Amino acid sequence: MDSITALALSVDSPVLKVMGLFLDDALAYGAVVVGLVLLGESRNDKRLKILASLLVAVLAVGTVKYAMAYERPCAGEEWCPEGYSFPSMHAVVAFALMTGFLNKRIYPLFLVFALFVSFTRLNLGVHLFRDIAGALPIALVSYYLTDIVWREKDGS
Amino acid sequence: MDREDSRQLFHMAIGVCAIAVLLFLGRGFLLAGVFFTIIIGTLLMNMRLLGTKIALVQWFEERFERKHVPLPGWGSACYATGALVAASFLTDTGQIAAVLLMLGIGDGISTMIGRRGKIRLPYNEKKTIEGMLAMFISSLAAWYFIGDLAVPLALVAALAESIPRLDDNLTVPIACTALLLVIG
Repeated sequence: MDSITALALSVDSPVLKVMGLFLDDALAYGAVVVGLVLLGESRNDKRLKILASLLVAVLAVGTVKYAMAYERPCAGEEWCPEGYSFPSMHAVVAFALMTGFLNKRIYPLFLVFALFVSFTRLNLGVHLFRDIAGALPIALVSYYLTDIVWREKDGS
Repeated sequence: MDREDSRQLFHMAIGVCAIAVLLFLGRGFLLAGVFFTIIIGTLLMNMRLLGTKIALVQWFEERFERKHVPLPGWGSACYATGALVAASFLTDTGQIAAVLLMLGIGDGISTMIGRRGKIRLPYNEKKTIEGMLAMFISSLAAWYFIGDLAVPLALVAALAESIPRLDDNLTVPIACTALLLVIG
């Protein structure tokens, strides 16, 4: 196990655990993410673009997860979520969301959110740091590709 | 030596540093280093987009960044992202080093030679055949890390580097990493 994962795992806070478990639920996390998009961006076209990039990111991660087929570090434990480990779906979504607000004053908040979500995945023991690290480029490339398509759509 | 040549020399130097970190400190260090560099880099990009003047960043942009880029620090961000693709998806040190070599040194040499080339690619007017050949030949140096696999990898790198519209700092490492995952 890498030292970053070990450090995150060593943080034993009931509050952080509860928040991590809340975000672990796919529906709750999805609701939080959609809510952040609606709160952070008022323009409908930009909202759609960000949501489109999240969809691209989710599809990419789903494909990569099954292609790489890395088991979770908690594999075998009753509480361990199903599915593969690399890369972290939660982290990809958070990083893609963050990228959508790169030109906004509230960007640091989204950056902190992405890092916090990533931390909770490590703290819960359901991912390793390599899963978080691998999530970042997927998120950035997903947004980049979405941006290209969006510009084509707008004719610029 | 003009600004573009300086930029490519710096590009190659960063590639050499990344390979050195990988070989002497290990994949974990490289992974963490590039990850947090991107995180900090995006924060700096945000500040520049909002008009904040950061002396060191502006000095860097004036000397190394191309004009007419989508975002401040665009080239650096793509480069780091490409390196992170290789470092996170691949587990073999030699394979990661090979991709970093192609991204850093191959791409740098290809640009320095390609911009002086005369024969444009039919599908990408911004690139030349001379540059593509330079990419292929210089990428063969990856043989040191991965042996004969370097030949098909260098071919893929040269083709990926020539793709129009997409940044080659992303296409090269993504294509090379994908090939290594399939045949490596």
